[in-house]
Amino acid sequence: MNVAAKPAGISAAAARPLSVVVKDIVQEYPAPGGSVTRVIDQVSLSFDQPGISMLLGPSGCGKSTLLHMLGGVRPMGIDTPTAGKVLIDGVECIGPHDDAVMVFQRYANRPDLTVFDNVAFPFRLNLWKARVPEAEWRQRVADILKAVGLADKLKLRPAQLSGGQNQRVALARALVLRPRILLMDEPFGALDAQTREEMQQLLIELYQSWPCLVVFVTHDVTEALVLGDRVIVLSAQPARVADDFVISEARPRSATWQRSREAQALEERILTQLHQASPGRGQVRVTV
Amino acid sequence: MSEFWNPYAPLDGRQRQWLGVGSVLALLLVWSLLTVTGLVSSTKLPAPWDVVTALSYLSWHDGDSMLFTATLWSVGRLLVAGVLVIAIGIPIGICMGAAPRVNAALSPLVDPFRSAPVVALLPILVMWLGIGETMKIAFLFIGAVVYLIPMVRDAIQAVPQSYWIGARDLGATPWECIHRAVIPMAMPRIADAVIVAFSVMWTYITVAEYVNARQGLGQLIQNARRFSAWDQVFAGIIVIIALALATYQFMVWLKRRLYPWETQQ
Repeated sequence: MNVAAKPAGISAAAARPLSVVVKDIVQEYPAPGGSVTRVIDQVSLSFDQPGISMLLGPSGCGKSTLLHMLGGVRPMGIDTPTAGKVLIDGVECIGPHDDAVMVFQRYANRPDLTVFDNVAFPFRLNLWKARVPEAEWRQRVADILKAVGLADKLKLRPAQLSGGQNQRVALARALVLRPRILLMDEPFGALDAQTREEMQQLLIELYQSWPCLVVFVTHDVTEALVLGDRVIVLSAQPARVADDFVISEARPRSATWQRSREAQALEERILTQLHQASPGRGQVRVTV
Repeated sequence: MSEFWNPYAPLDGRQRQWLGVGSVLALLLVWSLLTVTGLVSSTKLPAPWDVVTALSYLSWHDGDSMLFTATLWSVGRLLVAGVLVIAIGIPIGICMGAAPRVNAALSPLVDPFRSAPVVALLPILVMWLGIGETMKIAFLFIGAVVYLIPMVRDAIQAVPQSYWIGARDLGATPWECIHRAVIPMAMPRIADAVIVAFSVMWTYITVAEYVNARQGLGQLIQNARRFSAWDQVFAGIIVIIALALATYQFMVWLKRRLYPWETQQ
């Protein structure tokens, strides 16, 4: 993609150096009968440069839980992680981190706010109000909405948008903060196949304008092959790292590449790992 | 008839109006027949036209409108109590909904009163606050606030956790999550609680005005009862029902104007 075609407004400023380390993470939940269920078992990962890392695994394997830990969010009020730690730039991450922003599969947009106010929401918070002057954030919101193709929908509410448009709003709200780490929890999982492809394309464009560390949870093998610089395959409960490899093919990846021997070999490799990981469970999706 | 037992079948506006008007007319007809035939004596049940006469008498007589004055007094008491219910009840309900510890501490004090005989509190209030306006407003306040507080709490707790998590992830402090995300999301249901509170106060207004009222619709009814002027008693009751209905309709309209997104979802 050439420079002229980059979405306006998101400057191509290189993200600052980055280090995210997941160290020996263990997560257990209380199970009925007083025992505990181990969901994540000794997972260690490290990310030291921008790129799209796909976190792939069977449903319920704990990949979302792991992603939440990277964001420092504790949804259930249970202590996470049970053992191990997440280090961002060498500092242990114990709460929501300013540099890490999440995009959820659903329920992310506020039904009471317009598209503009949904994207501008972070700047109503003291943290960002103090950091970004109003004139600047207004400009940023306008630019990112143009970049995701919603410049003409500022005054609409989420209920008046399609599923894909709603995820564009969610992406815009995350990227307007110019995060160094973008955490995506099956963001396109609820969309139809065609919209999902459009959104994958959009993500690639946005990433090229703002190269950050994207950790992208999915259970869609094709999605992993289309988007990932790196693919991390987790095993079924308890989750362990079953495979971790790099895809060097440049994005956007053509349909020809997707049918190439290389791509098919990678797909085979992922599927083999997943089948070993979850014998008899068919929750892995392959599209195309 | 295939659409009769179908709760989702649309009903056109005219048909709905005719059915509603029809049943009111039927009631009036039965009422008229009972009085005309003498099946029920006029000392026990005044005829509809006698009630209409009483209404016009109360509305304008000797250059004075007793009904208008009484209505102003009742509405005034209701508004004062309503403002207090909103100003005190909503913050308490929000705190209970937003902080489990506050809820655990206050719910034993609030929840049982929903089924408590609030009317039985009246003598106690008279003992404490006397027989003046303070007592009447306190009575309306207690009657309504015990419904409002639990409803506001439930409204807060009904907001999906994902909005809290989402705001938290964007860097909101816990208090910012509450007042920037959870409260705005709970507003339509909080508005419902206010609507219920006003309906409850309309049902209690006559009770509040039974004791030593010199003015008000409750006093008007009480006074008429003392002279066995049943037509005026009926007229007073009808006026209260009409006012309560108007209040309800207005507040529902206002809620739709303020929170149009709720019905869009």
